[in-house]
This record gives sequence, structure tokens and C-alpha cells, in this order.
Amino acid sequence: MNRKQYSKFLAKGLSWFALRLRPAASLLLVAQLAMFPVASAASDASKSNAAISSDSILSTMQTELMRAKSDLAKTDPAPYFMSYTVYDQDQVIIAASYGGLLSDTAVRRRSADVTMRVGTPQLDNTHGQGRASGMMSGPLPLNDAPGAESRVLWELTDRAYKRAVPSYLNVKTNTAVQAEEEDKSPDFSSETTTVSVDTKLRDLSFDHGAWEAELRRVSGAFRNYPDVYLSTVILQVGTSNSRMVSSEGTAIATPNGSARLVMEAQTRADDGMDLLRVETFQAPNPGGLPDEKELMAKVEKMAADLKALRNAPVAEPYAGPALLSGRAAAVFFHEVLGHRLEGHRQRDEEEGQTFTKKVGQAVLPTFLSVADDPTKRDLDGVKLAGTYAFDSEGVPAQRVQVIQDGILKNFLMSRMPITGFDKSNGHGRNQPGLMPTGRQGNLIVSSTQAVPEPDMRQGLIDEVKKQGKPYGLYFDDIQGGFTLTTRSLPQAFQVLPVIVYKVYPDGRPDELVRGVDIVGTPLAALTRIITTGDKQHVFNGVCGAESGSVPVSAIAPAMLFSEMEVQKRAHGHDRPPILPPPGLENTAPGKVPGQKAMVRP
Amino acid sequence: MNLTKFASLMTVGALAAALFSVPPAAARADESAGGDAAASYARAAAKGDPLLEALLTELERSTSKLKIDQVQPPYYIEYRVNDVEDFNAEAAFGAIRESDKSHIRILRVVVRIGDYKQDSYYNQGVGSASIVPLENDPIALRRQIWLLTDEAYKSAADAYAEKLSALKQFSADPNPVDDFSHAPVVSVVDEPVKLKMEQGEWNKTLEELTSLYRDYPEIQLVSASVRFNAVNEYFVNSEGTVVRQGRTTATVTVSGSTQAEDGMRLNRNPFWTEARPEDLPSRDALLKQSKQMLDTLKALRAAPIVEESYRGPVLFDPDAADDIVAGLLGANLVGRKPQPGRPNRTSGAFATSYKTRVLPKFATLLDDPTMKQFDGKNLVGSFDVDSEGVKARPVTLVQDGVLENYLTGRQPIRDLPTSNGHGRATPGGAPVPSVGVLFMKSSEPEPPSILTGTLKHMASEQNKAYAYRVETLGPGNSPRLLYRVYVNDGHEELVRGAMFNELDVRALRNDLSAMGDKPLVSNRMTGLPQTIICPSLLFDELEVKRADTTKEKLPEYPAPAIRK
Repeated sequence: MNRKQYSKFLAKGLSWFALRLRPAASLLLVAQLAMFPVASAASDASKSNAAISSDSILSTMQTELMRAKSDLAKTDPAPYFMSYTVYDQDQVIIAASYGGLLSDTAVRRRSADVTMRVGTPQLDNTHGQGRASGMMSGPLPLNDAPGAESRVLWELTDRAYKRAVPSYLNVKTNTAVQAEEEDKSPDFSSETTTVSVDTKLRDLSFDHGAWEAELRRVSGAFRNYPDVYLSTVILQVGTSNSRMVSSEGTAIATPNGSARLVMEAQTRADDGMDLLRVETFQAPNPGGLPDEKELMAKVEKMAADLKALRNAPVAEPYAGPALLSGRAAAVFFHEVLGHRLEGHRQRDEEEGQTFTKKVGQAVLPTFLSVADDPTKRDLDGVKLAGTYAFDSEGVPAQRVQVIQDGILKNFLMSRMPITGFDKSNGHGRNQPGLMPTGRQGNLIVSSTQAVPEPDMRQGLIDEVKKQGKPYGLYFDDIQGGFTLTTRSLPQAFQVLPVIVYKVYPDGRPDELVRGVDIVGTPLAALTRIITTGDKQHVFNGVCGAESGSVPVSAIAPAMLFSEMEVQKRAHGHDRPPILPPPGLENTAPGKVPGQKAMVRP
Repeated sequence: MNLTKFASLMTVGALAAALFSVPPAAARADESAGGDAAASYARAAAKGDPLLEALLTELERSTSKLKIDQVQPPYYIEYRVNDVEDFNAEAAFGAIRESDKSHIRILRVVVRIGDYKQDSYYNQGVGSASIVPLENDPIALRRQIWLLTDEAYKSAADAYAEKLSALKQFSADPNPVDDFSHAPVVSVVDEPVKLKMEQGEWNKTLEELTSLYRDYPEIQLVSASVRFNAVNEYFVNSEGTVVRQGRTTATVTVSGSTQAEDGMRLNRNPFWTEARPEDLPSRDALLKQSKQMLDTLKALRAAPIVEESYRGPVLFDPDAADDIVAGLLGANLVGRKPQPGRPNRTSGAFATSYKTRVLPKFATLLDDPTMKQFDGKNLVGSFDVDSEGVKARPVTLVQDGVLENYLTGRQPIRDLPTSNGHGRATPGGAPVPSVGVLFMKSSEPEPPSILTGTLKHMASEQNKAYAYRVETLGPGNSPRLLYRVYVNDGHEELVRGAMFNELDVRALRNDLSAMGDKPLVSNRMTGLPQTIICPSLLFDELEVKRADTTKEKLPEYPAPAIRK
């Protein structure tokens, strides 16, 4: 582990409060660690002030917001919208490696985000480059202390206002000086208000000592494998309750809690390529995580995969028929399609706007439909990570049919309107401290041209034969991916597969290869889907973009592509460790005599 | 672990000590013991410490076996683990906002290839760091040590090649300075320290201190924080040095911030740093001092602004003088080797001042980390062995105004070929020469009454109605509490919005005219624990002028009503 990995570890372990993703051109989906809760229960929709006043923090927020509203109304320019969101986070992180605990921390934080909009919904301080001036954040007392809470909220509000005003004046000047924008939509949509208060804390009590012992044992199991140079097992358990009040009258309190277990193992091939396997488990509480026996089996599987990968040949650049497993297809759709359907990208003039003008047109084969449904909680017993009841702007989550029978119908909307879509559909999301944008929740791809999954491999072989190619590629598992959506860079995406096989048409066994990246451009790639499997698969992950890291799910069936392009993966050239690992001093890593490339049974 | 292996390692260390004719290391157990006795003492102490044992086992394995074809084997390997226990808490307006304990172990590995004259300590070759398990399972510990050593060796190989090729651009130095100095083998194994404090009590103290905001409606922000830590440092190297030493520090900071009616931002944040939590002021004392601090902020709101520039005598109280000594002297007296090809001795304002006068004749400056106490106060900057395993030594930096020495670690600089035990490192960081206990004193110390008298006398000689006295400084040596001392009747007037012009090393050399006789012990935690001991400083001429600060707007609407 080097310094980079050390900081990576820290960033990962502490990301839920420390990580602030800067706005990035690349939108990342990883199956790795970042602590975000899975919304785990519906809110009580009782619409009464009694509910608000029953909660000390919520009523303090409400009182202070009303005071700010009436006092700041006398200023010029005056705010037309304000909201307070308070995040209550209580997290335990235990990390272990090779049988010893690396880190064992419990952290509590309560923070407030103050949203400040000055001007009018048509044009306000958050327009264009002024976006960040819409929010001010700071820490709040951990325990109920109304005097201190109101004082901090007041101070944040005053600072937010002092920042919003100059930004608004800039926006007005820029709008007057610069050429007219193509999309003349207002800056903020009008929505109905919601009152929903559920402040019952999730019970996340768990046997800390027993979990420490289990993590020691599970991480210790990696000691048996000389090829696994680096591995960690991390448990994160936490509650995250959020409370929001707005000057429009919305008041929402939603309790959340989640448990997440991430196992990571790494090896290095003789040519210096680092090979990584990650397994992530997610549940509403630690009791819902897999038992030790299942985890031990995963350790064995990961080690076996890594050993096979170490010895697998490096794949050559190739374009030809390819079969994506359901999880691989899900990541593919998240990157290639999902990010390009986020509402705010349709009006940002720096964006590539692949689909902006394609509403009502075919963008996918007619047998495919795509929806994003944050209200869906699970699929075949698997909890979905992108589930929530209200988005970060207090708008109820909605199922949005973005593509119906291949035709583009809708976008994922926050309260930032775009031409033809003037309302939010409950997809405004952000990590604490950042301004919300339209984001994915649970992206679900469904198909009407499905064949039984076991028949898909034969479909691939048939396609290989039809095209006269030497082999096809089967992408069994992927780590994640990223995409670029801005105009200044090529419209491209990359999916990072980890388990890829060459499938030969002549009956030879499949051959595992390593170092493959799927590359391509979105419009071309989406039209090359020939058929899909009949079963949907879930990829739970954490998605990073301008508004920070948010938990998401992507769900899709396996897919057969007539053509997919792969390139060689860039990698380091350091050789594997020189000395054998401690405890295995008599083995020579990676030098098992007579071993050949692993083949799939 | 295997005792035979360990013994052979120790013999190498003892041999190195003898070879370079350095005094044998003394063990803590027996100051008169020779190198062998020290080694066997360290070995015995390490025996019961799984972390030291794991470090020594991997050190031995790496020293004897680490080698890639076509690359030289390491000539030196060191491991340093910092086991850091931390407690941080923060409160504002009478309520705790943060109260966390953390525990982390950070390993830093340095592998050097080449030789003492020229080696791989360059770019990525300066070491690799990672966290290691908090627990003492030997395999789990050794796994991380093994992996990091492997990485450090490969980085050293790359760095060595880069360095040699970079040096090809320059003509050979006729008097080259070595890359790494020889140092005696040291064996010091102290008892580990632990973090001991009452979390609940400190949370309560912080809440009580910050509740003072209720009595000060003029003050916008009142917050307070504590940071306690216990750091155990484990150090072993391939020369045979074995060190385990611990230190604790405890810091309380109280902050107040407000604006004057004209919008000028006014801040104060006094802090107290001590070696142990129990050495800190009592809750009552903290409360009293916090009230005083808030009273001064309140007074500052009403204080007149320094409108006209002033050039004349200025007296710095010890609590202001310590920042000047730390910032202008301490920071410029560290010996840092320049980049390859550069001719300078070191960097900083005194890079070319060796053996020249940098202070008035009456001034002497030393750094003595071996000093444990002064005036009955524990010194946080004190240490026995530095982070490179070298015993701390007292160093006279400036003698009778003349710069005689720099603080050095094991990276030699011109004229200073060996370490004087000041290579200090933050957890996981590379060691750099740093201040330990910096002591500024005068051969002609003056009592306070004389200094004040001289101050007024100087002012009246220049036909000034008043002189300035600085009580405490803020960031960038800007005055936080600045008073006009009137010549006629000696009364003082608090002023605000001032800054010093040209308060620099030249002013210290030419304009420092006297020093007080009552030094203040200023313990501070600036990454590393340091102590500055220094009396009042009287400058015969300094410029005080209006600070170029913008006036922020006052709050747009009143703070929420204070709930009693």
C-alpha cells in the first residue's frame, strides 16, 4: 500500500463527512465505499404543524427560517426562497486487513445546509456559474440545544445572503452582456409543498465486538493466498436522518439507516498490471448482511478469481460481438444513457446535450424501455441503493419513464427547469453541502425481446459465426465506469470490466483475459443491442458527479451487442513484490510451476 | 521471532557505531552501558512489544534479502511507526458540535540505495507511508511492513536513476556535501504513553466556556476546542538503532469573533498547550481568561482605529515576542539541503548568514530539546531522540548576535556534516530539521519597569505623545492587542486596525534595542510540539500603520434572542 492508497483509504473510510467532490467532467460509478444511507421506510405523511413542533430541531429550524424570511424580506435584493436542511449522521466504521483492525471509529456529526435564492424564480443568483452561491453549510450542535442551533443557523443564513447578493448582481450583468442563452427556462420551478414528518430513529444497535472479531477472521482468511497482496474488509454502519424546512412551507423529516460491507482484494500480474476484486453488500441494518460462511466463500472466490486473472493473457484491442452480463449492462446504461438524461445537462451550454433535442425520437431499439424509479425498494429480494422517499429539494420521489419502446420521453428533473419540462420529478439529489442537480436513483432497463438467459451464450456464438469473427467477448463482472458529457471533450464512456472471457465459436473452452476496457460513443453503442436476457440484475453503487456522491442502483438484463469496442487498459509497470508475504516465506508468489491460463468450466 | 537473527542485526549496529568512532549509544536503563549492553537492553524491551518485533523481523528480512537484478541492494532501511491517539472536541454557543476519539498507526518506510555520499533520497525516494493495524497480530502487521518496504525499494531505485541523470546537467561540485550523515546507534525503549482524559468533563468545560456568549451580546461567535493526543513513536533502522518513545500534548483554544460598528472584523483565539491535560488551567481559570478575552474583544469594538502611520519605539510583551522569535528566527535557522545543482547552504532568510551578525550583540539563541522544564513548567518541545533515531543535542544557534549553527537532521548541509538531533517528523511525514525548545535570552536583561521607562523615554526624545506596546499577535504577526502608552502620564489606550511594516530579520538585527528579564514559556502545537522561551522585546524603531482591511457588512438582521 502506498501513500496514494493510504489517502484513498482515508477518503473512503471517512468519505461520508470529509469527501467533497469537486465538479467533474467525468461521472463516476463505483461499487466501492462511500457512506450513504438506503432510505428504509416510508414517511408518515401526516400534514400537521403538530408533527413539526413535536420535533425540537425541526421547530427550531422552522422558527429561525420564518424569522430570516420576514427580516430578509426588507433587504434589497431580497431572497424569494430559502431552505434549511439538517443532516444527522451517526456512523461506525471498522476496517480490517489480514486479521488485524486498521481502523475502528465512531463519529457523530450534525450539519446544516442553507439554501439561498435571491432575485426571482425566472433569474436568480444560482444561474449559470453562480450555482455554488445557492448554498452555505456548517456544523450544528450534536445534542438538542435550540439556543445554539438557532444562532448557527442565523450566522449561516447571513453568510449565505451576503454571498448570494453579489452573485445575483453578476448574473444580471452577465445575462445583459452575453448572447442570449438557447434555453430560456426559469432558474427554479414552482412545486407544491410537502409536510411529512417521521423522526423515529432507526435502530442500528449491533454487537460491535462480535463484528470486530468477524472482520478479523474474514480479513485474516486472505492470509492463505500468496497472490493477494493487498486486501481490506470494511464495515460501515450508520444512521442518517435528514430534516428540511423551506420558506414555501415544506417540512420533511426522514430517518435513514444502512449497513454496508465492502471486501477489496488486489494482486499484481508479472507485467505490473494491478488487478482488483471488490464485493459490496448492502442492507438496512447489520443483521441483513451475509453471514460469515457466505463471506468466507466470497474470500475464496475473490482469491481464486485474482489467481486466475494474474495468469490470464492480456486482451488485444477488438471490435466484435459481445455479451454483457446483467450487472455489466446495468453499469453500461448508467454511464452511457443515465447521465445524459439528467435534466440540468440539457440546458448547460458546456454540455454535449446528446439527447436534448431527441424527445419523441427513437434513441434505443424499440424492444427496450428505461425508467428511473426511486420509490422501488427491492428487486427479487435485493435492496436497491437508490431508493428514497423525497429528493434533496423536498419533492416526492417519482417513477419516471424516460424511454418507452425506444422513444425518448422524459428527463431526470430537479427544480431546475429545461425547455419543455418545467417541473421537478423528484430527482434533485446531492450529498450534504452541494447544490442538487437531476440525478439517477434506481435506473431500470426492461426489454420485450428477451431470451432465456442460459441461451444468451449461444446467441453470442451465432453472432460471432455470422460476422466471421474469431471470437466474441463475454463480460461477466465489472468494477464501474465513467463518462464524459461536456462539449470540450469527446463524448465518450468507459466501463471497467474485471472478469472477461473470450468465447470461441469452435467449441474451445472460454478463455479468461485481463486488461480490457469497453470504450465507445453513446449514440452508436446504444443502437447495437440485438437481444436481451429474461432476468434483471442489480448493480448497487455510489455515483459521483457535480452534486457529489449519491447511492444509486442500475438494473438491467444481460445484453447481446452486435459490436462492442475494447481497448487495452493503462496500467503501472512495477513488478509484484520481490519477497514472499510474511507467514508464507517459503512460497514464491505467482510462480506456481506448470500453471496455464485458467479456463471457465 | 528468531533470536539469533536478531542478535546478528544488533551486531551490525554495534559495528557501525565502532566504525565511525562515535560515542556508543546509551540505554535508558543504564546510562553508562556500552553499545552491546544498549543493544541487549533494547532487544529485551522489544521482546515484549509485538510491533517492535514485527518491525525488526521485517527489517532483518528486507536487509538481508531485498534485491532486484540490475539494481543495487539497499544500504540503509528505516521504519518509523507513529501510534497516534487523538481526542478532538469543539463547542460553540454552549453546545458540543464535535467530540471524537481516534486511533491510527502510520508507518513510514525509507529505503536508500547508493551510499552515504550519494543516494536515492530524492523525489519519490524519500519514503512511503501507509496505515498499519492497530492490533498486534504479527502477520497482519508484517504484511503492511513488507508491502511498503517493497514499494519504497522500487521507488528508491527509480529515484536514484532520476537523481543521477538530473546531476548530469550540472558540473561536478568540487566540495560535495554528503546525502546522508553517519549517526551513532541509539537504543532507547521507553514506556509507551496513553491518552488519558475525561471526555465528558471536557465536553462540559467547552460548553461552559462557550456559554459565555449569553453575557456578551456584542460578540458574534464564541467557540472553543480541545485537542489532546498521545503519540508513541517506534523507530528501527538497519544501522541497529531501536527507539520507542512517547509524548502527549493537550491544547485548549477559545475563540471569539465580532465586528466593530464600522464593520471591521475583530478576532481573538488564545490557546493553552501543555504536555498533559492535568497541566492545563483549571476550568475556573479558563473561564476567567475567556471572559477577559471577550472583554478585550468588546473593548476593541469601541477602540479607535490607527489612522496615521507611526515610526518609533515599540515594546513587544513576551506573549507577542514569542511569535516573532518562532516565525522570524526559528523558521529561518533550519538547515535544509538545496536541490541538486544548487550552490546555497540552506534556504530561508539566513541562508547566507553563517558566522555573521543576525541579532544585536546582547542576544543569544539556543535550541535545547533536552531541557524538560523551565520555571517549573513542562516543555512540550522537549524530546530525547529525534524522528531519525538521533539523540537530541542542545544547539547554540546565535551567540552574542552571531549565527553559529543551524538545526540539522541527518541530511548534511555545507559546513554541518552531522545531525544535531533535530530531524523531527509529523506522523507519516518526512523528517525535517525543526525547532524543539527555542530559548532567546539577553546578556543585559532589563526588568519591565526599565523597559517601559525606556519606551516612553525614546518616544519623548522623538517628540511623540505616545509609544506602542503589543500584548499579543494574530496571524501574519498582525497585532491583536495593541496599546498606545502615553508619555505624559503613562496611561494606555487600546487601538485597532493596525499592522507592522517591515517587521523582519533586518529589524531584529538593527532595531532590537533591549530584552526583558522575565521569559515566558510558550508551548505550542504547530504540527509538531514546540516550545519558545522568550522575554519582552523592545525595538527602537518600527513602523505601525493602518492595516489594509476591508470592512464587511454588519449582519443583515439581528441574532436570535438569547434564551437565558
